[in-house]
Amino acid sequence: MALASGSARLALARPGRLGLGSCGAPRRGAYEWGVRSTRKPEPPPPDRVYEIPGLEPITYAGKMHFMPGLARPVFPPWDPGWTPPKFRRLPPLHEHPLYKDQACYVFHQRCRLLEGVKQALWLTKTKLIEGLPEKVLSLADDPRNHIENQDECVLNVIFHARLWHSTEDIPKRETYCPVIVDSLIQLCKSQILKHPSLARRICAQNNMLSTTWNRGSTLIQVHGSSGAQLNAKDPLPPIASREEVEATKNHVLETFYPISPTVGLQECNVYDVNDDTGFREGYPYPYPHTLYLLESANLRPHRFQPDQLRAKMILFAFGNALAQARLLYGNDTKVLEQPVVVQSVGTDGRVFQFLVLQLNTTDLASDEGVKNLVWLDSDQLLYAHFWCLPVVRRKAVVEPVGPTGFQPETFRKFLALYLHGAV
Amino acid sequence: MAAARCWRLVLRVPGLSLHTAAGAAVTAPEVTGPDVAAAPVARYPPLVASLTADSKAARQRRVERWQATVHAAKSVDEKLRILTKMQFMKYIVYPQTFALNADRWYQSFTKTVFLSGLPPPPPAKPDTEPAPALDVAALRAAACDCLLQEHFFLRRKKRVPLYLEREAIASPFLDQLVASLTGLLSARNPALAAAALDCKRPVHFYWLRGEEIIPRGHRKGRVDALRYQINDKPHNQIRISKQLPEFVPLDYSVPVEVPVMNCKPDKLPLFKRQYENTIFIGTKTADPHCYGHTQFHLLPDKLKRERLLKQNCANQIEVVFRANAIASLFAWTGAQAMYQGFWSEADVTRPFVSQGVITDGKYFSFFCYQLNTLALTAQADQNNPRKNICWGTQTTIYAMKWMDKRSNKNPRVRSKSSENEMPDVEYCHVRNKVNSSKKNTGNQFCPSPALQSLHERTSLGHDVDERYTYGLESANDGILLKNLPLQA
Repeated sequence: MALASGSARLALARPGRLGLGSCGAPRRGAYEWGVRSTRKPEPPPPDRVYEIPGLEPITYAGKMHFMPGLARPVFPPWDPGWTPPKFRRLPPLHEHPLYKDQACYVFHQRCRLLEGVKQALWLTKTKLIEGLPEKVLSLADDPRNHIENQDECVLNVIFHARLWHSTEDIPKRETYCPVIVDSLIQLCKSQILKHPSLARRICAQNNMLSTTWNRGSTLIQVHGSSGAQLNAKDPLPPIASREEVEATKNHVLETFYPISPTVGLQECNVYDVNDDTGFREGYPYPYPHTLYLLESANLRPHRFQPDQLRAKMILFAFGNALAQARLLYGNDTKVLEQPVVVQSVGTDGRVFQFLVLQLNTTDLASDEGVKNLVWLDSDQLLYAHFWCLPVVRRKAVVEPVGPTGFQPETFRKFLALYLHGAV
Repeated sequence: MAAARCWRLVLRVPGLSLHTAAGAAVTAPEVTGPDVAAAPVARYPPLVASLTADSKAARQRRVERWQATVHAAKSVDEKLRILTKMQFMKYIVYPQTFALNADRWYQSFTKTVFLSGLPPPPPAKPDTEPAPALDVAALRAAACDCLLQEHFFLRRKKRVPLYLEREAIASPFLDQLVASLTGLLSARNPALAAAALDCKRPVHFYWLRGEEIIPRGHRKGRVDALRYQINDKPHNQIRISKQLPEFVPLDYSVPVEVPVMNCKPDKLPLFKRQYENTIFIGTKTADPHCYGHTQFHLLPDKLKRERLLKQNCANQIEVVFRANAIASLFAWTGAQAMYQGFWSEADVTRPFVSQGVITDGKYFSFFCYQLNTLALTAQADQNNPRKNICWGTQTTIYAMKWMDKRSNKNPRVRSKSSENEMPDVEYCHVRNKVNSSKKNTGNQFCPSPALQSLHERTSLGHDVDERYTYGLESANDGILLKNLPLQA
């Protein structure tokens, strides 16, 4: 009796249940019942011989074929010994080896923080400074660093990305966003003739970053890949002097009560506390230089808002800097002698956000003490709009094909961020 | 008056009515004798075949009228539009194909001659200063870093399964390799610094070659041109704004013949479809970077060596590389030529040159292509002695097997010169199994003639041990360095 399975077992246990219920329909739920077309035929009921207690029925199992007169054998349910990956169920979370009682709030690449930059600053104990640092801006304005025919080249890049690179009339953002960033980086790389130390860099993608830190009593983790990342053999020099770093002690982090600082983060009980830069030890390019975050979804609701993108840039740059600092200086929380600097550029193909983050301290549990610094240049348009087809009104071309509102300043900042550390 | 009378008699040809002759006679101006003898003005419309009749002459006239519209087109876009707007059934040619002996078929489709080895180096000009020495060690280090980063150092989310290895590891490795080598070599070749780098951008080409008799249908028995279309997606390509100089002169007669296939292309197998005819080099015509430099192709898993060996097609390994190179580079150079306004009736006046590197992640082979003629249609090819030329090398292995991927030791990519520690990745130059029976181990090796000639060409004077270790780099650099506009 215990050998019967599935519906036969239910039929035996509740002999009346297979029959029609009160309203004429079977009493099992849809999940249990299944779609009729996919249900396997039910096995035939066992012979009446099995109901006689104390008797061992003689079956045709040994003969390996049907024999009239002998009972039908009932076999134990077969256990294949393994489950195909398609049907494997994950063990319950409590049994996972990495399960911990304390919840961790994880920031991954699709997390949208409700309070945006303010929340990111609180989570990373950072002070915001609007605009890029003078050191970087001086690189932008220095005419020696300019590429010849820079504006013409950048306009060609915009044309190529927005119009020329595809056979379609109007290419989509999913294609033109990575093309424009790659072309701008290629344009910046052409400066390798003037600055040979630009060769000491490499681009990497899909590296999994993971860092964890305590903020008060909450455990926060940054986990995931941030897209393309430029790594360098030499670290970036610190930007703010020691006095400026000491001056941040007086800064008070902005809170946003009643919103909890962990809103928007994913609460997770299964996590790994160990840091991971995304690269094994011995990697010849150990220092992260710039992160390039692209928002290239075609539909606007799928893309991050500029504020959310800036928050993501801050958190990923901070995660990289913290992992690097712990690798260099150990896991104990302290104020860093040599601050770690990481840059980030975020874009959706038209609007650029530039960020330079300087990690001054790994003591993030308390709200007092030295804070980290971030210089943020937001909403830099490379061009206002791009007409892929000419606008014709009353047989006169009102707007020719091309970008409107081109701002060369944005590319100068992009180039400056690229050249920072190598000039 | 006698002249006039003769003139009237001459006009009465059969087929022409009196009315028209008289009309023409009336309209033609009365001129004196000497003037008529000096400049014969046409007094009647030229005698041409009908436009609408169901005759060969009429068809010829219609074709010529169409060709005249192409010649008269003002812009390249308009010309391409007229050439490609009519859609008919055409053969789709796939550069990366499993078909047996596809390279000979593709040579016949594209009128290409295949020469093994790389083209002869350009003669060194005596007045220009010699180029700075090639920093092979730096190039080798950069290439090793790219390889190690993708295969070892980068920690990915999940361990990549075998069937995804090519797209998850070999593809970013090739991207990185191209980017870093281009950056490092731009010091020697300023054109590379200003070049445009495309990643997985399509390349399309449409052309006509040969004729067939239509076997069935409402047009059965009539002569129809064979149309071909290539829709290629090279993994990377470098485009420059100035054309690469030619390898050999435009009318250079190659002693090798273009293979002639006696069957219809359907036997390859090649299938027909009707869809948009596109001609595209990777950008539209307005881009200033309209000349090609090098293409990089990554072969799919379907065509990998192990699979071909399991199917007993060991001699098809090279064929796969060659077919890919011929088809892709012909399509690219042909499209570049069409972007400059040339087409089958207006043949190229200067050769179009491009290079290609085909790889499957481990084995590399290098190709150079020179397009000398676009006149491949039956009408234009009647008296055309020019042939397109493709030079190519044998496949060369880049790096041998990994010893232990998961070891915590840092793998060091070393040359074979020091053999104290167990190497994790060894460079080894192994010739194609088909061509050499003995396996090359240790310090014994025989570099292929292509690499040897390359070595001599780069003339670095390294000793024998190191020759193979930079096999790829020098070959790759050799190609990337090629045609540096030293004079510019």
